[in-house]
Formats: sequence, structure tokens, C-alpha cells
Amino acid sequence: MKKLLIKEMRLTASPLSYIFLAAVLFTLVPGYPILMGAFFICMGIFQSFQNGREANDILYTALLPVRKSDVVRAKYAFTCMIQLIGFAATAGLTVLRMTVLSRVDPYVTNALMNPSPVFLAFELLIFAAFNLLFLGGYFRTAYGIGIPFLSFGIATFVIVGIAEALHHLPGLSFLNTTSGERLGLQLIVLALAAAVYAAVTFLSCRTSVGRFEKIDL
Amino acid sequence: MKILEVDGLTKRYPSFLLDHVTFSLEQGRIMGFIGRNGAGKTTTLKSIFNLVHPDAGAIRMFGLGMETDEAEIKRRVGFAGGAVDFYKRKKIREIVSVTRSFYENWDDSEYRRYMDLFSIDENKTPSELSEGMRVKLSLTQSLSHHAELLILDEPTSGLDPVSRAEITDVFQYLKRQGVSILFSTHITSDLERCADDITYIAKGRLIASEEMEGFLRRSAAEGHGETLEEIMVWHEKERIL
Repeated sequence: MKKLLIKEMRLTASPLSYIFLAAVLFTLVPGYPILMGAFFICMGIFQSFQNGREANDILYTALLPVRKSDVVRAKYAFTCMIQLIGFAATAGLTVLRMTVLSRVDPYVTNALMNPSPVFLAFELLIFAAFNLLFLGGYFRTAYGIGIPFLSFGIATFVIVGIAEALHHLPGLSFLNTTSGERLGLQLIVLALAAAVYAAVTFLSCRTSVGRFEKIDL
Repeated sequence: MKILEVDGLTKRYPSFLLDHVTFSLEQGRIMGFIGRNGAGKTTTLKSIFNLVHPDAGAIRMFGLGMETDEAEIKRRVGFAGGAVDFYKRKKIREIVSVTRSFYENWDDSEYRRYMDLFSIDENKTPSELSEGMRVKLSLTQSLSHHAELLILDEPTSGLDPVSRAEITDVFQYLKRQGVSILFSTHITSDLERCADDITYIAKGRLIASEEMEGFLRRSAAEGHGETLEEIMVWHEKERIL
């Protein structure tokens, strides 16, 4: 798997997959729906799949001395690697905004979602949606990327909409607090989202392996 | 010793049926796989290498099956499906440096030998090579990891006569090293130059799979023609008429 991951990085990956990681900086933009950073990170990963399709990457990889199922797992591994790098950087910036920058004017008056463990939880849900809808959809054909990405795009806007609306509902304002108040509850939400991300990614990968076995290359 | 066994290979497409194709290849022999365009040659070869999912049939290489020993089989087999069509904008050197990392038995001196023989510059990208040169590059990669079985789809198509002669010479050399080769083609003169056995399919059905000499003798006796080309024309024309 390590060799396949290196292959993904050296031959298949678009530079945009790495450049779009800079979207984590949206976490610092006041008055902006900061969850869109997760969408742009996934859009960067999408560019690598587009690159791979143009380069006939799936067939090349299937010809290597690896199991066909490992071709799928390598794609998931590369995707998760980029997502987790993005998540780690976003988590760092979230801590920065919750501590050092918590009293800075534009952040104090922010009506939209603030960086918090709940924000990180929703970011993981967007990544999970990508792994389920885009990766799962892509491996139906190992070729088509348009409809899977469109499905993911729609799901993202729904998730962002829910995330931005929830903390305005009575009794749910704790979802958007950055003061450390109800931090335990926020961390539970994050842990649940992490479990959803892991489970969805695992199940999507397993389904994709089954689908890919039946595809004629 | 049988290196490759294909038994009852069947693949259904909406407008094509590969119908219970059965043949085998012995160690150190060259088998030509012939048939018209669309006869099912590529589907058969891709099914053997698990790139196409057959509906029925069993395939074994070195006594192993893809379902349990896929990576092991792929390590011991060289598969080239025509011209290199991967990463056309990447330097050949970069592509090969990744490819070689997957083969424990990758042989750099063999790789250099074939790159020199075929005059391929590894600082070029595949997009800068002609179709024929990309076929040679594909072959070079298959030959550089000491494959015991080569499965080649139209390896001589698009090549000039001198290059085709070079490649059939390479096949003869590899055969002497004990390598088995299964290659599809519709250029029958290449087969007459190097094949020991012949497998012939038409419209997805097996017409013959036997020793080349015996096939030619039998076909001549039955009045189907003296050469492979004449025999193919006889079989296919019968179907048209």
C-alpha cells in the first residue's frame, strides 16, 4: 500500500490537491461560511481524479503486481491523507481562533459559524460525504466523475446550510460558542462525527472494492 | 508444464459473446492468437489478466488463480496491451522509476538493453513518441522484470517491418530462456516467423488451438489454404457467404 500511495503522489496527484489545502485558511476569515474550506479541499482531491482519468491511471495501476482491490484502497488512502492533513491544519487554526484570537473584534461579532469542535465535526461530515458520494460514485464506473462530484456538491451545501442554521435554533447556541463553555459536549459531537467519518469511509471503500472487481477496464 | 490454462472462458456483452474459449500454453513456447478485428482477442487477453470480468470459465497461470494469487501472478507475467497510453505528459524516466519499485526482480541492465535496442530516450514523454515507439516502450517495461509469461495484445501493430523482425527475434531469444509468450495479432507473417502454437478465434468462438505445423498441415489437407492468411480468409469468407 505504501508503494501505491507513493505512486499516487508521484504520478497521479494534481498539484491542486496540495495547493487547495490552503483553503484551511478560510478558518480565519470572519463573516464567511468557513465550512466551505472543506469543500475546496475535496475539490482539490477531485482534480487528482480528473488527472488520473486523463492519464489512464486506473488501467496502469491495475497492471501493476497488486490486487485489484488495492487499486481502490490506494485511492481512498490518498484521499484520506489529504483530508486528514486538511483536518489537522484546520484544527490548529481552530484552536488559534478559540484562544489567542478569541477577543479580536471581527470574530466576536461573527453571525456565521465560529471555529469550534462542532465546526470540525461538520468538516468531517463533509469529508465523509465526499468519500461516500464522490469516491463511491466514481468506482461505479472507474471513469465518470461528473455526477459523483455534483452529488457531493449538493450534499455539501445541505450540510453547510444545516450547520449554519442549527446554532440559531433555541437551545442549540452552544454549538457555536468559542468560549470553552459546553466544551465537553462539543467534543462529544466531534467524536461522534469522527466515528461517522471512519465508518462511512470504511463502508464506502468496501462497496467500491466490490464494484471495481466487476468493472471491465 | 502448462503455464497458462484457459477453460471455458465466457463473456457476454449486449452484442457480442465470447463463447467458452479453452486453450493452454506450455512453458517455453510462443503462441499466436489470431482472429479478425472484433473476434474477441483483446477481451480474452484482458480476461486472463483480470482486467475484464468473465461471466464464466476458469483461468490459471503457473497453477495459480487470480482470485487468491493476483499480485503473485502479475509479478510473474508481463502484460502489454499495445502502445503505452499512460501519463502521456510525464517523462518516461519518471514513470519507469515508479513502475520498477513494484517489481522485486526488476532488472535495470535488461531495461537499458531494450531501451538501447529500441532507441527510446527516457527523457521524452510518451506523447513525444510515435505509436510504434510506444508499443516498444510497453514491451520494454514488460521485459524488464524477468516475466515468465508474456501476454501481448497486438505487439507488432503499427511497427515498421524492421522493428517487427526485431521483436520476433526478441521473442525467439526469450523462448530460449524458457519464457512463454501469448500474443495476439492479425499480421500472420509475424506468426509464421516465430509461433510454435496457434489459437484461432472467430466471432468469439474457438476455431482451433494446436501446434502451428499441425494446424497448417491439417488446414492444407482440408483445402482451407496453405498459409495462415489463406486459412483465415477461408474461414471468415465461409461465414460471409
